[in-house]
Amino acid sequence: MAKTAEALKRVVLGRPMSSGELGHTLLPKSIALPVFSSDPLSSNAYATQEAMIVLSLAGAAGLAMIVPVSIAVAALLFIVVTSYRETVKAYPTGGGAYRVAHENLGMYPGLLAASALLIDYVLTVSVSITAGVEAMVSASEALGPYKIGLAFAFIAFVTLMNLRGVKESGTLFAIPTYGFVLAIYLMIVTGIVKCLGGGCPEAESARHMADLHLETAVSYVLLLRAFAAGTTALTGVEAIADGVPAFRYPQSKNAATTLLIMAALSTSMFLGISWLADGTNVVFTEHPPGQRTVVAQIAAAVFEGGPMFYVVQIMSTAILILAANTAYQDFPRLSSILAKDRYMPRQFMNRGDRLVFSNGVIILALLSGLLIYVFDANLTQLIQLYLVGVFISFTLSQTGMVVRGRRLRPPGWQRSALISGFGGTVTGIVLVVIAYSKFAKGAWIVIASIPVVMFAMRSVYVHYKDVADQLGHPARRPTDRRPGNAHFVILVNRVDSATARAVGYARSTRAADITAVTFDSANHGPWRRLAPDIPLQTLTGRKTEALLTNLREKRSNLGSDDFLTVMTPEILRSRGLFEIVRRPGLHRLKAVLVREPDVQVLDIPILRDDIDPEVDQAHEPGRNHVIVLISGVHNAMLQATEYAETLRPTDIRAVSFGLEPEETEKLGDQWLEARVPHPLEIEESPFRDLGISLERYLDRFNPDGVNKVVTIVIPEFIVRKRRHQILHGQTALIVKRRMLFESGVVVVSVPYHL
Amino acid sequence: MTFLSELVEKLARPAQDIRAEHLREWANSVPGTIPIADVQCRCRCKIAGVIQNVRIDPREGSGSIEATIDDGSGRLVVKWLGRQKLSGIGLGNGLILEGTIGEGRGKQLQVLNPDYQLIPAPEHG
Repeated sequence: MAKTAEALKRVVLGRPMSSGELGHTLLPKSIALPVFSSDPLSSNAYATQEAMIVLSLAGAAGLAMIVPVSIAVAALLFIVVTSYRETVKAYPTGGGAYRVAHENLGMYPGLLAASALLIDYVLTVSVSITAGVEAMVSASEALGPYKIGLAFAFIAFVTLMNLRGVKESGTLFAIPTYGFVLAIYLMIVTGIVKCLGGGCPEAESARHMADLHLETAVSYVLLLRAFAAGTTALTGVEAIADGVPAFRYPQSKNAATTLLIMAALSTSMFLGISWLADGTNVVFTEHPPGQRTVVAQIAAAVFEGGPMFYVVQIMSTAILILAANTAYQDFPRLSSILAKDRYMPRQFMNRGDRLVFSNGVIILALLSGLLIYVFDANLTQLIQLYLVGVFISFTLSQTGMVVRGRRLRPPGWQRSALISGFGGTVTGIVLVVIAYSKFAKGAWIVIASIPVVMFAMRSVYVHYKDVADQLGHPARRPTDRRPGNAHFVILVNRVDSATARAVGYARSTRAADITAVTFDSANHGPWRRLAPDIPLQTLTGRKTEALLTNLREKRSNLGSDDFLTVMTPEILRSRGLFEIVRRPGLHRLKAVLVREPDVQVLDIPILRDDIDPEVDQAHEPGRNHVIVLISGVHNAMLQATEYAETLRPTDIRAVSFGLEPEETEKLGDQWLEARVPHPLEIEESPFRDLGISLERYLDRFNPDGVNKVVTIVIPEFIVRKRRHQILHGQTALIVKRRMLFESGVVVVSVPYHL
Repeated sequence: MTFLSELVEKLARPAQDIRAEHLREWANSVPGTIPIADVQCRCRCKIAGVIQNVRIDPREGSGSIEATIDDGSGRLVVKWLGRQKLSGIGLGNGLILEGTIGEGRGKQLQVLNPDYQLIPAPEHG
């Protein structure tokens, strides 16, 4: 059954990749271009018409301004791209707006850029997918009722492709992107040839030119608004700057070249479409009865409705769907950077089976799906939320580059500061125009949520910093290296083989004090036969309270180096997760115990099949190998090591799993510096699954639980506020779940209360 | 049905096995080396492998550092005595070493203070 599930997963997602294969997923320029620019290129499918909607308010005289407005947009695109080329060169490790703003302008501008971008990536997915679905629906109206379903299906498809990994999805996405570019170019060239030959074809809507309702005269305000609407052509420029690390070497140079190619393609397509829209006299207004898109009208006019018209339409639909992919590259990457900088939960840093930041991919899919659902897949409403985030990030990023230039003064900084300063000013003005003209129509939602996201990220940061400070605090660092004494309390549910093993284990540690507690007085008889030397006390009243009172009393008599441990022996009927939920009472009790200061919880599970009635009579294991699982050198880990010493084991070692190669030496140095008198092992975890790696590691011990036991000690952070627990790795849970069914393995949590 | 179960078997093949195969191919491509599985005790031989475990022991004298390497056919412990830091000995790095192979802790193949050379790890490692 498990095998079939695994096989199915491989068919859908592909084979798990080892961390060493990471370098293999770097993209050549020819693939990076479609992966990162499907968004800016696809916006050509609607950028011209967005500007025309505004211009049409001034009638024919307004529409005649489309070419100058488009030239202005194209010029802005070139300014921004030129500026971003400098950024890419200055930040070879990925110079998204967040990095640049955070480094040069400070934390809050950085967070502003980050939250604006994250929100915009979600919108990119929602808007592009909805636009693609809209295009499909206008081709075949029968699909109308299934809009949301179709949108979800597309999201699921793009999500799956991205969970498979960058490179494969890149190859797949290259076809529609290049296809779209070629189709549009063919349309533009054919159109230009026809127009220059004197026979410029008329678009189907040209006859409406005369009956345009004049709402306003051509004014600077109108032109500015049209310009702002046309700037959708700029979305996604950010993606390349953010994605430098995904490029092949030399990364900066390749990324800068790709940016230039993207800008050249995008502006030429945009200008060509606008020029033809003017030449063929397309009319496009806000509330059209059965109006086709500008690109569709031009294509129909130029190709006279031939098969090429359909090619253009199909390619437009395809690239719109795939534009969402840009965000799928960027959202997970930005969230991993934010997680590394401790502004987002660290889980966003984990790479999944296919070396993708899977958590980011999944969160993005959920959020954009939710947005589509809430807005009922309505494009006109969704598009109003768009663009604010992009221009916030452009402005911050370019301002950041000016500040950086003035601060570091690299050669030629005046020139690039001038470019960035100019770009920043222009994008700043556009930002104001966009926010103003779209505020009431929906942009307020974005403007209101940005501070919320910023606040959340700041809280995460404050929490992580607080934890790091406490873990490194010298006053709480255990210094006395003389091992203290172990004190055990055995929680007797029934007197059985598991309890017998617990007794044997406790005795083998030469503990200062072993007692037993039970809630059932019927256990006294069998207990006297098992361990007459250990007192058994029956607790009455509410179980949890009674146990805690008992433990607190014992704890008050403890020496300063001593540790109090509750042992929870249990017999498992079979391997399988069902066993975990079978006894909810015990697990609730353990959860309470872990939160109790200075009490360690030691699990002694035994599988019913492993019980040997001959030896399971409180037999002391001859050898006990202790493994302290560590993730870094800090107070919690030092405390866990001290605890391990009180068990008087055969040997103690600290083991760290799955570090990046370059972190290996750093951890080694810290270990030597902390002067812990035990060996440290750093073990690889090629498939980034702690459970599997740990199982493989235990193979070399081959414990039987009777003569040889392996004890896994897990330092566990216990945070004051329960909701903060989500910000910490679930290492303890993963290990406990996996190790429950390993025979001869005992797991202890050593909680460190923050 | 056998076809189906074979397919499932093939698809669900542990990722470790696939990786071990990649490692074997890679190690074979390094000239002059022999697979760890073919090593006889007390022989002097040349071996290529990828570092999978690094162990620092601050207790023994002036300390020791150990690296466990894997070439897809077996594992071998490389031990450098009397030092605690060795640059380049990091997880996932490739290592070519030449020395006399003996037995260490737990009958594990072990080589002491060998001549070694760091090489880039295999792309699929």
